[in-house]
Amino acid sequence: MERTILIPIDFKIESLNTLKLALNSIENEHANVVLMYAEYLTDSITELLFYSPKKTIKSLKSPEFEEAISIIKNRYETVIRSIEVELFHGYNVNAFKEFVEAKKIDTIYIPKNYSLRLSKNGFDPIPLIKKSKLPYQEIGWETSTYTSEQLQLNALFSY
Amino acid sequence: MKTQLKIALFLIATNIMMLLLFGGSIYYFLYNYSYTDFYKRLETRATIAAKYNFDADKINAESFKSIRKNHLERLTEEKEYLYRIESDTDLKEVAKKSLLPLNFLKNIVANNKSTLQINDIFYTGIRYASHNKVYIVVVSAKNYYASHHLLFMRNSIFFAVGFIVLITTYLSFFFSKHIFDPIKNITDRVKQISTDNIHLRIEEKNDDNEISQLISTFNNLLNRLETAFETQKNFISNASHEFGTPLTSIMGEAEVMLMKERSPEEYQQSLASILGQAERLNQITQTLLYLAQTGYTNKRVNFEILRADELIWQTKEMVDKLNPKNNIQIDFSLLPENPKKLKILGNKQLLYLAFTNILANACKYSGNKPVQVTIASSDDQVFLVFKDQGIGIPEAEMPFIYDPFFRASNTRNFEGYGIGLPLTRNITKIHNGQIHVSSVVNEGTTVQIKLPLAVIP
Repeated sequence: MERTILIPIDFKIESLNTLKLALNSIENEHANVVLMYAEYLTDSITELLFYSPKKTIKSLKSPEFEEAISIIKNRYETVIRSIEVELFHGYNVNAFKEFVEAKKIDTIYIPKNYSLRLSKNGFDPIPLIKKSKLPYQEIGWETSTYTSEQLQLNALFSY
Repeated sequence: MKTQLKIALFLIATNIMMLLLFGGSIYYFLYNYSYTDFYKRLETRATIAAKYNFDADKINAESFKSIRKNHLERLTEEKEYLYRIESDTDLKEVAKKSLLPLNFLKNIVANNKSTLQINDIFYTGIRYASHNKVYIVVVSAKNYYASHHLLFMRNSIFFAVGFIVLITTYLSFFFSKHIFDPIKNITDRVKQISTDNIHLRIEEKNDDNEISQLISTFNNLLNRLETAFETQKNFISNASHEFGTPLTSIMGEAEVMLMKERSPEEYQQSLASILGQAERLNQITQTLLYLAQTGYTNKRVNFEILRADELIWQTKEMVDKLNPKNNIQIDFSLLPENPKKLKILGNKQLLYLAFTNILANACKYSGNKPVQVTIASSDDQVFLVFKDQGIGIPEAEMPFIYDPFFRASNTRNFEGYGIGLPLTRNITKIHNGQIHVSSVVNEGTTVQIKLPLAVIP
């Protein structure tokens, strides 16, 4: 069976832990992963003229983040069919529902006690997800414990 | 050729080219324009002449003539030819009479008008029909404007171009010379710096141009060189200290024994102690030798394809033998599913040495608290992370951790020589890997090693 999962991210490595734990719960299935970054679209016409989601994503992605994605890809090689990063520009619940429908998302995973640290134009999509009444699963890990197993991903890049 | 001269010549050449293009095009277009314009003037005159000769009655003709005299400037050697044409044969007679070429006249009849230039005299002729009769009117004159004004303009353009070339030559040389002034200053200053006065620096400016960047790059390089020199100096003093301590204790022990006769047990005890110190010396020399050998990166070591996880397991077994009380946990939660992603190209013995060093230190400085080893791999490298809960390294001492014989200030209660980490770094360097140590005092140290994956066809 194959399903598409959606995970909100902030282009920080820690936010990928949600993905890691979500993948842990998927067994004998294939997953297409959509990593969603929510950002307000600019109001300036001149900026919109040169708007390119590819470039925006490229400027937000750090080399460490890409490396972390490739680590997860290698770890769950048989589960993951594809990983793509998408920008979400909507403001309201309907826009988010449209997004979910367009991407054919089956399950939404959101971090339980990790709050996304967003850059300049970004906004936190989690309240929107909760308000949308679409089914979602919360995944939690302890953010501060030093030896916590879930934090290894950060440990790989903790400089 | 010096860059300075190159730049000057380039500037001069481009300037001359542009000037010639500019002057030449002005002259050429004006030249063309003056001709067409002159023909047009002649045509106007021919039309007027035809009008008052054939078209108007007597009174109007007089006024036409006076208007023409008063208002139209008389051209040099202006002449009018007026002929009535009745048939083609007339043209030949007209040609004979007026000395104008027959072709020209034919053209006038055929095309209504035509122009001609013989030497410096210009002709414009028109065909004029009036009262059912056909006339040919030709006006000729010398083009004073073309012959004099244009010549004058050509000369002035020549002079102007020559003058500007002189100025640009001077300016090009001036600028090319002064543009390199700051670079020459830097060269002079750097020449002064040698091993004796490596503390000297180039004066930095506050603007953010390329030259200032060059200067700050140079200064950074000098800073690093200076620290390298200092490390070298420290190394010698540290090494002599390390060698000196066991030697002094051997000598002291022997001297005390030789003072008077002793019992065999005492001799045995003393010899054992001397042996212990000698062994310590031997160990230091051996690790130093390793360090020196791994320091030459150009020396080719035998590389084979190894699996990173196997290496870690074998290292753990080795550490288990040395220190049975250790608490090393190997964590595979990020281990890639494909074993190909764990294969690295390396030398088994050297990598053992490096990993044993890290793991033994992690156990030693944490008093056998849990040490976590994580293995992960991205698309092009393997990540190995060793995390302990030991005493840590003070932040101020982090820059020196790779100096041989350097030991952090909080390690007095632990035995060691301070060669392990530099050795490990040399080994990762040989494998084209990276090592990174981060630490918090009394919380623990994390050592991260990245090794490139082997390219397996």
